[in-house]
This record gives sequence, structure tokens and C-alpha cells, in this order.
Amino acid sequence: MEHGSTRASAGRTLLNKHMNEASIKLDNLSIGYNSQPVLSGISVSISRASFTAILGANGSGKSTLLKTLLGLLPAIAGRIEMATSAGKPLMFGYVPQSIQFDPIYLLTGFEVALMGTFGRVRPGRFVPPSERAFTHECLRAVGAEEFASKRFAELSGGQKQRVLIARALATRPDVLMLDEPTAGVDPTATHAVLDFIWQIIREREITVLFVTHDFALVRDHAQQVIWLHHGKVECGAAQELLTPERLAEIFEIGVG
Amino acid sequence: METLRQILSPDFLLRNSVYTSVLIGFSCPLVGVFLVMRRLVFMGVALPQISSTGVAIALSLPLWLGFRLTGHPSESVHVLAFAGSMTLSLIAILVLAFLERRGRGQPESRLGTAYVVAASLSILLLARNPYGEIGWLDMLKGEVITISNFDLALTAGTLALVLAALGFFYKELLLVSFDRVMAITLRKNVLFWDVLLYLLIGLTVSMAVLSVGPLIAFGFLLIPALMAYLFARNMRQFTTLASLIGGVVALLGFWIAYQLDLPVGPTDVVLLGVLYAVAWVIAKFLPGGSRGSRKNLG
Repeated sequence: MEHGSTRASAGRTLLNKHMNEASIKLDNLSIGYNSQPVLSGISVSISRASFTAILGANGSGKSTLLKTLLGLLPAIAGRIEMATSAGKPLMFGYVPQSIQFDPIYLLTGFEVALMGTFGRVRPGRFVPPSERAFTHECLRAVGAEEFASKRFAELSGGQKQRVLIARALATRPDVLMLDEPTAGVDPTATHAVLDFIWQIIREREITVLFVTHDFALVRDHAQQVIWLHHGKVECGAAQELLTPERLAEIFEIGVG
Repeated sequence: METLRQILSPDFLLRNSVYTSVLIGFSCPLVGVFLVMRRLVFMGVALPQISSTGVAIALSLPLWLGFRLTGHPSESVHVLAFAGSMTLSLIAILVLAFLERRGRGQPESRLGTAYVVAASLSILLLARNPYGEIGWLDMLKGEVITISNFDLALTAGTLALVLAALGFFYKELLLVSFDRVMAITLRKNVLFWDVLLYLLIGLTVSMAVLSVGPLIAFGFLLIPALMAYLFARNMRQFTTLASLIGGVVALLGFWIAYQLDLPVGPTDVVLLGVLYAVAWVIAKFLPGGSRGSRKNLG
């Protein structure tokens, strides 16, 4: 816990540094499926090199928001403004839940991570040695190199998660989006994953969006919180939003 | 052994049939691997049948338009049949894949219905065709024995095209099959790569149906890939082994059929079935080996 607070405090310094550099700005955004809104009126500014948690119970619209930001779902109304990186659109590194992959594919951890480089390799070309070396570097950075030669489907939840983070890093992302990366992962591995995410933010100044329903994780690690609760969207700094008073207010219960 | 030497001799009368069988045997499993990975095995059953209905429609078209054709298939008739087979295969695969992606209804019932309707329609169309029984029915049944130089060249050319495309674009096809969302975030045109894969599957199936018939096409599409999956440890082994099994079984099947005076197609499929059963038993008793693989195939 103490460890987490220190980390969050270091992160606040980083957040202040980039306070005026919004990476993503949502302006009165409505999201949902087939023109049916799940959430409306989302107005949030996500700073560059920040750790933002998207918090909410199952069915609250967390994944819908993530999919909309990734461009997989169209926004129903409102605007999404994305900063550019050296004149190019932001590159997203997406880390899905590891359970969603079909185990039928006979791919090793390395082969899965290598897919992160495919965006830079033209169709019909082999992945050059430099990109393969970079993939090894990403795997090494997340501590996944020793099991990268094993079949992806046979890795543990935490090991798969590390490989998927390595794959997202191999895309050379500006924004790292993680969809419940600690689901099905034991507490030790969860802390290792989050420690590593903090390291990335510090070293590479990548913006991190982290979907979760785990209050404790958010309180210990996130700087900014987008909290989806009963169709409402609460935004703010984690230390301000997750106080007992604010929690009681949001849950409409008496404090006492 | 003498028979095998005879079959492999360049002077062998039925050499085109041997070459075509082996070509189909090597190529079909390569697209079959994608059908297995995308869990579209039932499509592998329905598609060859739908493709053969395309042949029947294409062969009936000139009669409906009032043209008179010769009884035995000529080169132009063969090209017409290929076009019909390819068109209907592609339409079917795109519609079925679209319905599959939407995830509504039961895929098995859709594919089962498509299979029986296509099979019945082929029979009805040829029953109304006065030339049907003269030589075209053989073509539709995939009579491996009567393969001309033109048929062989068409088969080899089409399959070379498919193999080249699969080899060149393997990483894109694998990416969109394994993780569509990742492909989208990498700004890949997922629809384009999906359509290309379906086009390659459609081309291979059409060629196979026209050369060896729907039954054998189905056998070579799926059984070698299912067998290879029992032993392969990675994608390269999976693809190579499936293709090798297909090619070798095609040659062995021809040899057995020639030796015992049996029809080639059904001999190939039965041989594949027997070998699959043997492979399954071997894999079951292999230490550790393919435990995960068998579980994944359910």
C-alpha cells in the first residue's frame, strides 16, 4: 500500500509536468451500441504520460468506452480529440484480456509479441531482424523472455499478460490501453504488472488507460479516475475521488 | 512397388490425374489450416458442395440461354464451370462468414441447410440437363481419371497463385485471424484481408471440386490439417505437416486405387480417415506431446 502511494505521488509530479498536454480529450461524448447510448455526457481530458483508470462494475460501459477510444465502435454523439505524435495520429497499444484468445493457435509467446511490429512491416515483407530484436527487448523489459518460446496458450494468466503488454509495447505506442489486465492474475503477478506499467510511464512517457473494477488497485496505482457508475461519469484525481466522503456520496449512503 | 514406379513414370497414361491429385493434396490443407484455426470446419464441409452447385448452374446456363453444346467437356466448358464454381463459392463463403461474425443463430444449422440444399440443387439441375450424364456429371463428380493437359495447367496455375498469396501475406492473414482488434489498432484493413483469405479459400475449393469432386475436396481440406494439429508444436510445423500429409496421402491413395482397381477419390478419403484414426491413437499415447492440442480441438 505504501509502495503504491509513493508511486502515485511520483506519478502526480509527472502528471503536473504534462498537465497542459492533453493526449485525449472527450467532449460531451455519448457511447453505446446500435445508436442506443450506454453512457452520455462524458467530458474528460486525459493528460500525456498519465495513468488513468476507467473504473466501474460489470456492464457499466468500461469496455464500451475503451472500444470507442480505440475506434472499434463509433461514438453516438460528441467529440473525441486526439493529440498527434510528430504529426501522425496517436498509436495505440492495446492489451486485451488474455482469456479472449482462442487456444487453437499454435503460437509461441514470441510470435504473439512479434505481431506488435506488423504495423511497421509492409504486407508481403518478412519482419526484419531489427524488429525481431526490438520484440525480444520488449519481452525482456516485461520479464517475459524466459517463457516467450513456450506456447502462448499454455502460459499462466500472468505470463500471458506480460506477453500481451510486450506486444503492445512493440507497437511503439503513444497510448497504452489495458482491458482488465489483472483479471485472472494472482496478486503477486498483479503487482508485478502494475509496477512495470509505472516503469513504462516514467521511462517512455506513455499515456496509460487501465480498465478495472478493482477499487484497491485504482487507489494504489492510478493518478486519474474515470468512474462509471449507474450511467453517471465521475472524473477526478484518484486521491480526491476515492475518499470515504466522496464514495459515500457517489453510492448515496450516509457517512457515519 | 512396380505399380508405384509405373505411376510415377512420365509415360504413365494417367499421369495428369496423379499430378492433379498430388497438387490438390498439397494445396487444400494449406487453406484448410485457416478453416480449422477460424473454427470454420463445417464451412469446409458445405463449401465444396456449394461449389459443385456453382458448376451445375454454370453448365446449365448455356442451355437456359438456348445455346447448343457438345456432350464432352471442352476447355471453354471447363473454364465456364470454374467460373460458376468460383462465383457461387465466393458468394457463399462471404455470406456465411458474415453471418458467423454477427454471431446470431446456430452456425451448424445454417451450414447443414446450405449443404443439403446445394446438394439437391445440383442433382435437380443436372437432371434437367440433357448433356448431364454424358460427361459433365463425371466432371461434377470429380472424375480424376479424365484430366486433360489444360485442366492440369489450370489447376497448377490457380494453386500456384493461391500458394504465392498465402506465402506473401501469411502474417497479415494470421493477424486478422488471431486478433482482429489488434489488426484494427495497427490500422490494417481487416475487411480486405478477410476477403482475400475467403477468395483464396474459394479459389482452392473451386479448383479442387472441379478437379477431384466435392467429397475429396472436403477430405483434403480438413483431415490433413486435423491430423497435423495432433503433432505440430508451432504454426510452421502445423502448415507444413498438413500439406505434406495431403500430398503423400494423395499419391498413396492413387497407388492403392490403381493397384486394387478402385475409384481414386473415395480411396483417398477412406485412407485419410484411417490414417487420422491411427494418428489420434498415436497422439493419445505420446508422452505429453499433443495433450493441449487435442483439448483445444475439443
